[in-house]
Amino acid sequence: MLELKGIYKWVNTGNHRTFLLKDVDLTVKEGEFISIMGPSGSGKSTLLNVIGMLDEFNEGEYNFLNESVHKLKEKQRSALYKQYIGFVFQAYHLIDELTVYENIETPLIYQNIKSSDRKAMVADILDRFQIVGKKDLFPTQLSGGQQQLVGIARALIANPKLLLADEPTGNLNSKQGEEIMNLFKQLNHEGMTIIQVTHSEKNAAYGSHIINLLDGMIQNN
Amino acid sequence: MVKNYLLIAIKNFRKQKLFSLINILGLTIGITCCLLLFLFIFNEFSYDKFHKNGKDIYRIMRVGNLNGNRQEIPYVSAAYAPALMNDFPDVIEKAVRVMRDNDLISYNNISFNEKNIYLADSDFFSVFSFNLIRGNPGTVLKDPNSIVVTESTAKKYFGNEDPIGKILQFNKSQQLKVTGIAKDVPVNSHLQFDMVVPLELLKSSRPDWFTNFSLNTLFTYIQLKPNTDPALLEKQFGGFMDKYLGNFFKEIGQKMELIAKPLNKIYFAANAFDSVKHGNKKMVYIFMSIALLILLIACMNFINLSTARAAERSKEVGLRKVLGAVKKQLIGQFILESVLFATLACFLSIGLTELLMPAYTHFLGYDLPSFLGNPWFYVCIAGIITAVGLLAGSYPAILLSSFSPIESLKGVLKVGKKGTSFRKVLVVFQFTVSVILIICVVVIIKQMSYIKNTDLGFNKEQTMIIRFDNYDIASKGHQFKNELLSIPAVQDVSLMSGEPGGFHDSYPFEAEANPAEKYLFNTEFTDMDFVKTLGLKIIAGRDLSDQFGTDSLQAALINRTAAVKLGYTPDQAIGKWIFNTIRDSIKRTIVGVVEDYHFASLKDPINPLVISPGKDNRLALIKIKSADPGPVINNVRKVYSSIAPGYPFEYSFLDERFDQLYRAESRQESVLSIFSIIAIFVACLGLFGLASYTTIKRTKEVGVRKVLGSSVQNIVLLLSKDLLKPVLLGALIAIPIGYYAMNKWLQSFAYRIEFQWWMFALAIGIAITIALLTVGVQAIKAALANPVKSLRTE
Repeated sequence: MLELKGIYKWVNTGNHRTFLLKDVDLTVKEGEFISIMGPSGSGKSTLLNVIGMLDEFNEGEYNFLNESVHKLKEKQRSALYKQYIGFVFQAYHLIDELTVYENIETPLIYQNIKSSDRKAMVADILDRFQIVGKKDLFPTQLSGGQQQLVGIARALIANPKLLLADEPTGNLNSKQGEEIMNLFKQLNHEGMTIIQVTHSEKNAAYGSHIINLLDGMIQNN
Repeated sequence: MVKNYLLIAIKNFRKQKLFSLINILGLTIGITCCLLLFLFIFNEFSYDKFHKNGKDIYRIMRVGNLNGNRQEIPYVSAAYAPALMNDFPDVIEKAVRVMRDNDLISYNNISFNEKNIYLADSDFFSVFSFNLIRGNPGTVLKDPNSIVVTESTAKKYFGNEDPIGKILQFNKSQQLKVTGIAKDVPVNSHLQFDMVVPLELLKSSRPDWFTNFSLNTLFTYIQLKPNTDPALLEKQFGGFMDKYLGNFFKEIGQKMELIAKPLNKIYFAANAFDSVKHGNKKMVYIFMSIALLILLIACMNFINLSTARAAERSKEVGLRKVLGAVKKQLIGQFILESVLFATLACFLSIGLTELLMPAYTHFLGYDLPSFLGNPWFYVCIAGIITAVGLLAGSYPAILLSSFSPIESLKGVLKVGKKGTSFRKVLVVFQFTVSVILIICVVVIIKQMSYIKNTDLGFNKEQTMIIRFDNYDIASKGHQFKNELLSIPAVQDVSLMSGEPGGFHDSYPFEAEANPAEKYLFNTEFTDMDFVKTLGLKIIAGRDLSDQFGTDSLQAALINRTAAVKLGYTPDQAIGKWIFNTIRDSIKRTIVGVVEDYHFASLKDPINPLVISPGKDNRLALIKIKSADPGPVINNVRKVYSSIAPGYPFEYSFLDERFDQLYRAESRQESVLSIFSIIAIFVACLGLFGLASYTTIKRTKEVGVRKVLGSSVQNIVLLLSKDLLKPVLLGALIAIPIGYYAMNKWLQSFAYRIEFQWWMFALAIGIAITIALLTVGVQAIKAALANPVKSLRTE
């Protein structure tokens, strides 16, 4: 599904160059559930952002569904990820001013989907996640676990092929975390490709595959 | 999508009540200023546009040379119109003479001294499109003894009776039959009348007046045949003038030209010489730019507050980007938000405008046409919404949408030094404008008080003016004067052709100093008591006096400027002759020189003046002894009614006369004062928003500093300093601009104040004080807060 070849990313501070990613090679096949692990500052989130096309890299090749991402312009990249990739964040990142319903609907708006279709799709996913009763509430009126559920619903609404999750359970207690991880596992069974960043061995174990990062380099694959 | 944006906008609005209120309030004030000004400007530019034949109507004007300046003079004599019709029958369709007059009109027992009577040719209503409610425009003035009155004038005389066919008395001598009723003249007409009487009425009493080319007392309008080029006609005017006035020009040693002025240029004619309504295009443009500047200041508040708050919105922006929004969509979203603000402010402004209308009308002194039915008003509203929406929305929109999604989601986004300095530039601009306005107001107030308190060179206190505006009083002027002098409280009375501040004729003079040259001097025709009544100072020679039997025909006084102009010292001038080439048949000897006094506005330098005894008495000045003028006025009234029975007694005072000369400037003073208050208020509104925002942002810093031992003063200083620097800078930039603008304004006064450093210091002081109060309140609040509390919030 996607392939990273010799990816380098660095920042220059003065005349000193700090590498965030160093010679990263990674291939992800469809249907895989990958967990990226590593200590703080090892480049986990950076790698996830590069895969999600939110961040650029300095060197290397990145092919996503037979497209050479490193050759694309920003607009084309945006079109690519908005169609194929869903994001889930540690801090949920819901828009406080919008209701649950409107939050989930937002990605569809940017894909120019008709209002009636949007209604059907949002109703569908609310039903699937059993949060129909909460659709008119605002994010601040929900518990953390419920907010993350909405976040995942939002990530899935546009039927992406790849789900990227940056410490999705980091702000949750263990019970809520477990529920979310079970949801991920179930999604993976239904065919969704998932890449998650996590600190916890336990959560990493849900995945089919673990990548360890240290100082921007993959340790074992 | 739009619905989603609207929702976000409305919720943001609710969440950020203070900022939203500041934005809305500022924009509402700015837009209201613009709307009020729009209505004013629209009315100004609509003058005389309602005439159906408007583009073919021209006013004939003479062009002469007045003290070296080209001067267009609209008054021509009654002989021009028939001569023009006779000489240019192929080009001129109709010619209408219009003379404004004041006459006594009576019906049964009521009589009024009507000041707005037009004596006009019978084509008046067919050339001009003044609507008639009754009567036929073509025939209504055909009979010399007819009269057309406006609706409200008809009501004044006849109440609810049908006016048509009623007989009105004209100056107690002639009978006029009401043949038509005109709608009240619209505000936007330079011609304003209450009654129209055929000019033919005068033919029986003054036949030679109609053929004399040098008695220039009326306006002549011509309506050209359709599609005629007026320039071709004007080319032939030279020959026309030579034909009829060649000899006269030779006599006075001056030539005049003739032009045809388009009807729609008359209202805005600069320094016009006539008594019709005029507008000042320059003032219109100045007010317009000030209104736009205030709107701009309000827009800047919006920009400032939006960008200051950008960090808060950054999370939403980042998220939307991750969810697939492209930059264009985000820019659209933020511009939509500002358009929404502008729309809301516009609606509030319309309400506010409606509310302010009575006060505004009162201030202007006339009714503006209703704006809600004016399609251009809505075009203007739409224009404002679009302009404000784009102006205020585009910078924040571009700034916000340029955030990198990862940084903004992490919350580590630095809104950057660039945004901060941009905000400072805007604050600088806002205060530059405010301080310029304050400087203007300070200088205008100072100049006006200079004008009001300056010594005019004559005594203007307790002096009544009674105008000789009817034949009875004018013909018995001397009897009037003598009877007035028998009233104990009356000190002096003088009859004259023009009071100080009023109109003074100018005539060509020959003088002993250089007999070959023609001098154009202002004149005052009066009696022997002129100097005494006004309290003028004789600096050489003697006053005019009855003791010298020859004085009335052979003596004259001149002012100091005239002596200088003739090349004399005051003493040298005594005994020399001068000769009024038009009015007098023999030379006059200069018997005295008076010190210069301001017989005209302080805007003009004192011109040479010749004071000579003469019969041309147009008014009486009455100097009163007692402090309480009430009883004296009553006595004067009795005398007046015995001499001019039936005429209403009207009077004014000399000191008020001078105030009238500066009415335009007084209006500028009040308009600019209001505008500068509004400008500084709106600017401070924004400053207040910024101050409260930065204090919130720096709560933690303040807490830490306090824990570390900083004093309250230090913290107030710290918080205020950043915001006051741009204010100070703006004020400094304002100095040269304000100096330049007011220097220009002062140039219109021949007598003016000098700039002084304290004027600028005062303006800056006012601005800084207000800004300091605005910022300081916020800073003190933050500095006094308990540090433990502020640290806990983080």
